[in-house]
Amino acid sequence: MLEYISFAIMGLGLIFMFFGIVGIMQPNKDFYYRLLVTCKIDTVGIITFFIGLAVRHGISFFTGKIVLILIIMLILNPLVTHMVARSAYRGGYVSKDELEKRKLR
Amino acid sequence: MMNIILIVLFAYLFFSMIRVAIGPSVWDRLSGLNLVTTKIILVIVIFASINETTYLLDFAMIYALSGFIGTIFITLFLSNRNRRKLEEFKEDAETEQENE
Repeated sequence: MLEYISFAIMGLGLIFMFFGIVGIMQPNKDFYYRLLVTCKIDTVGIITFFIGLAVRHGISFFTGKIVLILIIMLILNPLVTHMVARSAYRGGYVSKDELEKRKLR
Repeated sequence: MMNIILIVLFAYLFFSMIRVAIGPSVWDRLSGLNLVTTKIILVIVIFASINETTYLLDFAMIYALSGFIGTIFITLFLSNRNRRKLEEFKEDAETEQENE
């Protein structure tokens, strides 16, 4: 019984991650939009995925390590995305709508 | 049953690699790389869960730390890449506002 519950939760995590992939593959959207969508949905996908795994293994040494990995990824994933966006802005990657705003197209 | 999840994860890995390959600018590739790292960590954790071994999780932990920190240093290197472009852009914006 526990097996199926964990598969259901993991499947849910996979579905969330599918939206993350869809988010990053959007051609017409802007870079910053894709970056935002990917990071947010990806983090949610990770959380659901690890909950599914924790359910599968119950309270054990395995779940403890999984929680540790979850904490590391929750801290680092948004951090890296912020750094990428910041370096893109600093490095002169001007987004399309910003260009339209300044009528420099 | 767990293999299905593995196959789907590898499919996601392939799609995010497409973004790394296509990405017009370096920063698109970096965000794709970030996605690839996350997927690889999940693959390692799934393997650990299938084989019921806990030592694999240490690999995932170390890979998570080093992969993300590596990406951070790449972004630091890239942040002043085409500094001139940003300055020119700002100067054009100022001249635009002056003659308005």
